[in-house]
Amino acid sequence: MDPQLDSLVDALVDGERERSVEIVGELLQGGLRPVDIITGGVERAMAGLDRKCTAEQFNLLEIMLAGRAVMAVIRRLFPEDATLPDPRARVVVAVLEGDIHDIGKAILKILLAGSRFRVIDCGKDVPVSAVVEAVTRSEAAAVCVSGLISSVVPQVRTLKSALSGAGLGDVRVLAGGAALKQCTAATLNVDYVGQTAFDAVSYLESMVEARLGRR
Amino acid sequence: MDAVERIRRTVAFERCDRAPVIAQVFAHAAVATGRTIDEFVSSGAVAAACQLEARARYGYDATFAVLDLTLEAEALGGGIRTRPGVYPAVSRPPFARDADFARTPVPDPRTAGRLPMVLEMAKALRAAPGGAFVVGLVQGPMTLAVQFLGMEEALSLAADDPDRFLELLDFAAAVSEAFGVAQLAEGAHLALVFEPAGSPEVVPPAFFREMIGPRLERLFTSFRRAGALANWLHIAGRTAPILPLYRTLGSDIACFDYCVEPEPLLPKLDGHRVCLAGNVRPLAFVTSTAEEIAAETERLLRLFERRGGFIVSSGCEIPPESREANVAAMVRTAIRWSGSQT
Repeated sequence: MDPQLDSLVDALVDGERERSVEIVGELLQGGLRPVDIITGGVERAMAGLDRKCTAEQFNLLEIMLAGRAVMAVIRRLFPEDATLPDPRARVVVAVLEGDIHDIGKAILKILLAGSRFRVIDCGKDVPVSAVVEAVTRSEAAAVCVSGLISSVVPQVRTLKSALSGAGLGDVRVLAGGAALKQCTAATLNVDYVGQTAFDAVSYLESMVEARLGRR
Repeated sequence: MDAVERIRRTVAFERCDRAPVIAQVFAHAAVATGRTIDEFVSSGAVAAACQLEARARYGYDATFAVLDLTLEAEALGGGIRTRPGVYPAVSRPPFARDADFARTPVPDPRTAGRLPMVLEMAKALRAAPGGAFVVGLVQGPMTLAVQFLGMEEALSLAADDPDRFLELLDFAAAVSEAFGVAQLAEGAHLALVFEPAGSPEVVPPAFFREMIGPRLERLFTSFRRAGALANWLHIAGRTAPILPLYRTLGSDIACFDYCVEPEPLLPKLDGHRVCLAGNVRPLAFVTSTAEEIAAETERLLRLFERRGGFIVSSGCEIPPESREANVAAMVRTAIRWSGSQT
């Protein structure tokens, strides 16, 4: 592996935005293709971040800084639309009506983008119907909802059936965030409850691999 | 033994009749007594009446002089979003990144926004018969800092320009201090410092120790000078790495959330006379049965029987929509517990 790619991985994990972009510039000048920088740099950094951020060590500050560096690198590599090519799947993220705390969603969005998922952000304080509409429009494979306050629990419980009602019963529903992670998947009527944003990414990666394996 | 004496002795690790039970009931007091959350957060008198009625019904040891967690940002001109049936939330931070925090005046708790309602509440709760312990509440410097600027913006500032971030943190600490001292003056026995943004889930423990810790220490010193019976630090989430620091910062009571296992924590607190308050899972009051809550409460009481220095409580706020039978189960189990406090 190119030692400069190793330096990029370290810079990204440490959240050094300017240094990361600088290294990417050097790698491009050296003739490396953007796609190789993604697989050899960004994806390895995301994996390294995942290992570093066990449930006990997960903290928003470090994740946010690393995510900020990853997004700067993606913007440098793909200035047209700031998303990675050849996405693994489309994922809708949302904070449901009644809750306007969206830092958890922002973190998840960054991790998903860095892991080659195409993210459709529904925003915060959105009704279940808007989420269903976004899934229909984007043909997303999954929905991730983040909830900091307990009053959103009743709405989360209705999401799966609202999707089924729209003929989207095979769309996976994931939940996380301070309030929702206290619940079981059965209580929330969702497919999965993640303790951290990385759990959600791992779940979605496994889901994609399983679907590819079935083809 | 009245509630104030029970809590005083427990915090001092002295013998008392039973472990105190402090249900973290805020707006649940409104829901349980037939009022709306909107009524609760709009009037200190109504909120105090709800607190007193709920305490009379459940029988726990403390009432809270708390409305919601937007008061400080609102008093500084932040945008607040209200919606029936849920707490108000900060929809627009009061400051931009380039604000001059060093020159921004601290809002006067006696006149700014709804801050005076909390003072009115503290006074009414303290004056009420029944001898309840009155807990005031301020948000800690880090929590206010992220409210004042927005979470992402505040964390970015901390990373990009630590000196400016410390100015923000100092301003936030001054807001906490003024509000807490005013609550104590009106009758609160203590002013709990609610600092969820200091959790290791938000910032690394070193950040807490070096940037937040010194400001908390000054806050606790000031509260003690203002007559606080004790100091109480409340940080949600996985706080095990920072809990051993609380006592050295001047906190007598430490909340521990549902995700902190007390068994491995206790040896780390050897020699720290910090009273622990917790840690029934907050959402369990909504989703579990009364039997499950009672069993969990009993498990905690048994665990702390020998150590003492324990207050039966939830890991964080008991959600407004909680089942009344569940709150009652925690309180009843604590009151009937036959174990002794040392």
